[in-house]
Amino acid sequence: MKPPPFDYEAPTSVEEALALLGRHGEQAKVLAGGQSLMPMLSFRLVRPRIVVDVNDIPALAGIREVDGTLAIGAMTRQRAVEQSALVRRRCPLLADAMPQIGHFQIRNRGTIGGSLAHADPAAELPAVVAALGGRLVVRGPGGERQLAPEEFFVSYLTTTLEPGELLVEVRLPVAPPSTGTAFVEVSRRHGDFALVGVAASVTLDEAGACVGAAVALTGVGPTPVVAAEAAAVLVGGRPDARALEEAGRRAAAAVRPDSDLHASAEYRTHVAGVLTRRALARAVERAQGGGEAVTP
Amino acid sequence: MPRLHVDRLRSGDGSEDEYRVVERTGLAAWDATTALTVVGRPYPRVEGAEKVTGRACYAGDVRLAGLLHARVLRSPLPHARIRRIDTAAAEALPGVHAVLGTHSAPAIRWYPDGLLFDRTLRFVGDEVAAVAAESEETAADALRLVAVEYEPLPFVVGLEAALRPEAPPVREGGNLVGPPKVYARGDAEAALREAPVVIDETYTTQTALHNCLEPHGCTATWDGERLTLWDSTQSVFDVRERVAETLGLPEHRVRVIKHHMGGGFGSKQIAWKHAVIAALLARRAGRPVRLMLDREAENLAAGNRNATRQRVRLGATRDGTLTAISARIEQDTGAYLVGGEGSNTSAIYQTLYRCPNVTTEQVGVYTNTGPAVAFRAPGHVEGAFALESAMDELARALDMDPLALRLRNYAEADQRRGRPYTTPDGLRLCYERAAAEFGWRRDRRPSGQGSRRRGIGMAAHDWGGSGYPPGYAWVKLNGDGSAEVVTGTQDIGTGTRTGLTQIAAEELGLPLERVLLHLGDTATGVYAPVSAGSATQATIGPAVRAAAAEARRQLLEAAATMLEAAPADLQLREGTIRVAGAPDRALDVADVTRRIAPHMIQGHGARGPNPDGKAVRTFGAQCVEVEVDVDTGEVSVLRVVASHECGRIVNPTLVDSQVLGAVTQGVGFALMEERVVDAGGVVLNANLEEYKVPTAPDVPAVVHARVDRPDPEANATGAKGIGEPPLVPTAPAIANAVFDAVGVRIRHTPLSRRRLLAALAAHRPEPA
Ligand SMILES: Cc1cc2nc3c(=O)[nH]c(=O)nc-3n(C[C@H](O)[C@H](O)[C@H](O)COP(=O)(O)OP(=O)(O)OC[C@H]3O[C@@H](n4cnc5c(N)ncnc54)[C@H](O)[C@@H]3O)c2cc1C
Repeated sequence: MKPPPFDYEAPTSVEEALALLGRHGEQAKVLAGGQSLMPMLSFRLVRPRIVVDVNDIPALAGIREVDGTLAIGAMTRQRAVEQSALVRRRCPLLADAMPQIGHFQIRNRGTIGGSLAHADPAAELPAVVAALGGRLVVRGPGGERQLAPEEFFVSYLTTTLEPGELLVEVRLPVAPPSTGTAFVEVSRRHGDFALVGVAASVTLDEAGACVGAAVALTGVGPTPVVAAEAAAVLVGGRPDARALEEAGRRAAAAVRPDSDLHASAEYRTHVAGVLTRRALARAVERAQGGGEAVTP
Repeated sequence: MPRLHVDRLRSGDGSEDEYRVVERTGLAAWDATTALTVVGRPYPRVEGAEKVTGRACYAGDVRLAGLLHARVLRSPLPHARIRRIDTAAAEALPGVHAVLGTHSAPAIRWYPDGLLFDRTLRFVGDEVAAVAAESEETAADALRLVAVEYEPLPFVVGLEAALRPEAPPVREGGNLVGPPKVYARGDAEAALREAPVVIDETYTTQTALHNCLEPHGCTATWDGERLTLWDSTQSVFDVRERVAETLGLPEHRVRVIKHHMGGGFGSKQIAWKHAVIAALLARRAGRPVRLMLDREAENLAAGNRNATRQRVRLGATRDGTLTAISARIEQDTGAYLVGGEGSNTSAIYQTLYRCPNVTTEQVGVYTNTGPAVAFRAPGHVEGAFALESAMDELARALDMDPLALRLRNYAEADQRRGRPYTTPDGLRLCYERAAAEFGWRRDRRPSGQGSRRRGIGMAAHDWGGSGYPPGYAWVKLNGDGSAEVVTGTQDIGTGTRTGLTQIAAEELGLPLERVLLHLGDTATGVYAPVSAGSATQATIGPAVRAAAAEARRQLLEAAATMLEAAPADLQLREGTIRVAGAPDRALDVADVTRRIAPHMIQGHGARGPNPDGKAVRTFGAQCVEVEVDVDTGEVSVLRVVASHECGRIVNPTLVDSQVLGAVTQGVGFALMEERVVDAGGVVLNANLEEYKVPTAPDVPAVVHARVDRPDPEANATGAKGIGEPPLVPTAPAIANAVFDAVGVRIRHTPLSRRRLLAALAAHRPEPA
């Protein structure tokens, strides 16, 4: 199938883009990397009257460190994030997640903002932002808003982005010293969306006790699931095998996944536990290694 | 000189006599001692540049003036009768030029009990109506305007359900396709009763979809009473025959063309309805029509590998000698017999191992799902999964090395027909090469106690691939010394063009680039059979060689006069003709052809007969290593070593490609691919997003341990088929490796994670 006819604009500034989006409201769709939008257009799942291509807005792309956070422009290509030394150093969890998104051909075009705005329930990036408690920076006719993940992700492919608004940036806290991270997932094949994915981050003190931990899961519900109970098991003690086991159990208990063609709810629940244990174990190992995540 | 042999096959029963005509060529076969210069070299595909630059013209790429686009309305119900159909609104839509349906199409018989457009529909996807319009979008809109009132009928999905006594009948005669096909030699039941070791297990295989990159379809155009079809088919002559017969046209008025093909895998070995529908729409509209199936239609209505359930019993003595093989096989044929199933699941039980007592019983079962059709080594892939898993189980029961068990039961003859193989050591060579390259058992690692366990497994196979008569080719030498080969065969994506061009160039003593091969056109080509059964190279290769030899003979005769030498004293290599022992007396081929022009040298060639009293077969063995994650159930295939005896390797690159592609399909069959039908008869994954085929990163490291040995008794080129064989052993080798890794046996494809985790949970000893 081919998309139904639509108008096309390619503004060169955020202001121009916002003006177009404001004028067309619900009739407009933003085109970022097109990796999700183009198939949806071709299947006629969306029928916008106008497509606003934001690829020509240089201000929307780039990775900066500001005040203890990493600020990543919405139009930054996934591949650029994957290959960024700054991201690897300052936000290793994000670096861990990147190679698991589709294939590198997809990541060459796909953007960080596009993935977050698309809000696929099995996507990696929403889980990373949720695990780290990042902020989504949104601009619209009423100015700029900064949203926490739980304020942004609503349901399957649904966010609180209003018509006329643009996601311009995502901000992630810089990892404290002695932090280890891991993103592990199970999918049907290489490059497929995750059946279950787990983002984990663990921070240790000098004595090796856990002073901070975070776990978020993808693929197990309409939005990323932050498994605070699971992370809490580790905090305050030395993360040993018993603690990791218990964290896995709690993560499995925290999720209510659906069944589909590719995996049953039982399988997803079981694997959520297994992967939480594994992700935390790897994060601990890396944290013990001085906080430098092992570059793959 | 070719000699015709005409045999009367059958007479006296009131029907017409049948004759078989075979032409003997008298050519000495190229054997292991023949020095060849073009054959055996890894030439890139002759049509490669055309394909990678997008110039290659496939069935759906033909652009004719006034071309219309057709779409087919398909049944939304698994079993229904059309009460009423109204196409008036569709016909009235601007841009629509022809509409066909049960009410308006000619009553053309298609299945023995069904019409081209029938009032009874038997699966979700069965053809209801068709529209030709200015664009595909208009055709799709028109289909939405067709009003159909369906009367739903009781339906049945799945083998087990269809076999229940109370199952709704798919057709009047019930759900069995016919009486069971029974084969017996010796007395398997008695031998099983006496056998000290017996394996008795039931295995199942899933319905798999071919998913050729290029879907089925064609472009049809009429010129008065002459029809031309560009069809994506494995057999231009079979399509011509069927279409001519159905439309009541003489065969010479139907031309079927197939230049390039994006895969067939057996699913295109017959004429499908789309060819006749496109022709009828084109005639009605008075304009050419393009009818290509979309991916969904492709996966609903263009064939599949039948699901099977196989109860296998093996009997053996304690030293591992097989005394009995028994298999009872049920297979899901779908709603219709399309005529190209080819799924003889029983065959491998009868031949792969030496065994005096063998019984097989095979029944086809109708269900209200899309019809099955041949899929790369049909039947053998399904049968090998069960038999080769059972052999592994037997090896475990006997505490024997699986390879040693196979060697103990080695067959050197075709026991069905009581004929020795032309290569009785063929399979042994494969075992040796595969085991040596893999390091079978020698690099055996303990599989470990962690969550990721490694294991190794192997499986073997036999298959046809001998090729057979008839099949013809024709060679012409042009005035400038270039050559053209004409044959009616088709290149279904395997590299047939290249392999056959090499044969012609070798025999003609010309460099490859001075030879061009034409194929895939009934109007210009001489007869060649369907490209199926791994037979094309072995069927048409010898015919091409015979045609080239005849042209060469004439060429040397002319050259002999010019060089004042006897033809027997001439040598022809790389385009130059020399007098033996007198290197300065030489002519380029072009010097000869130019001087005799406009006389044109032409050679006709036929495929000679297969050897009398012997069986020509292909063999192979594969060893695989897997890693199993016992917590998530994931199975990764780490490496595969494949060794296959296919006679002479005409082109190593092409053969390696077949091995790689087949192993990839085998990984998909073992681990991912499965058509899923819900309780309402709807296919839930008739697309490439939900139906999982392996992608490039899922392909393991595949090593092809080549067995490149001519089989000169097979035919004059010594080459046999390789298209299908390497798919046959992959799935059971993987299942056997999984058992080796984790100690649980999965008897069902695909080896799903759910099954694996459940089996592991049942197997794991309770913690104390
Ligand atoms: C084969 C394949 C495999 C894939 N596998 C994975 C995977 O494993 N994991 C995964 O996470 N993703 C996967 N994807 C999706 C991929 O990551 C997409 O790149 C991503 O989902 C969308 O990013 P994009 O830049 O391409 O956005 P687009 O496709 O251009 O846009 C997606 C949606 O977001 C909206 N949008 C985009 N940018 C903005 C913005 N700045 N502000 C407001 N709205 C915006 C668009 O209007 C559209 O609705 C896969 C895609 C393919 C084709």
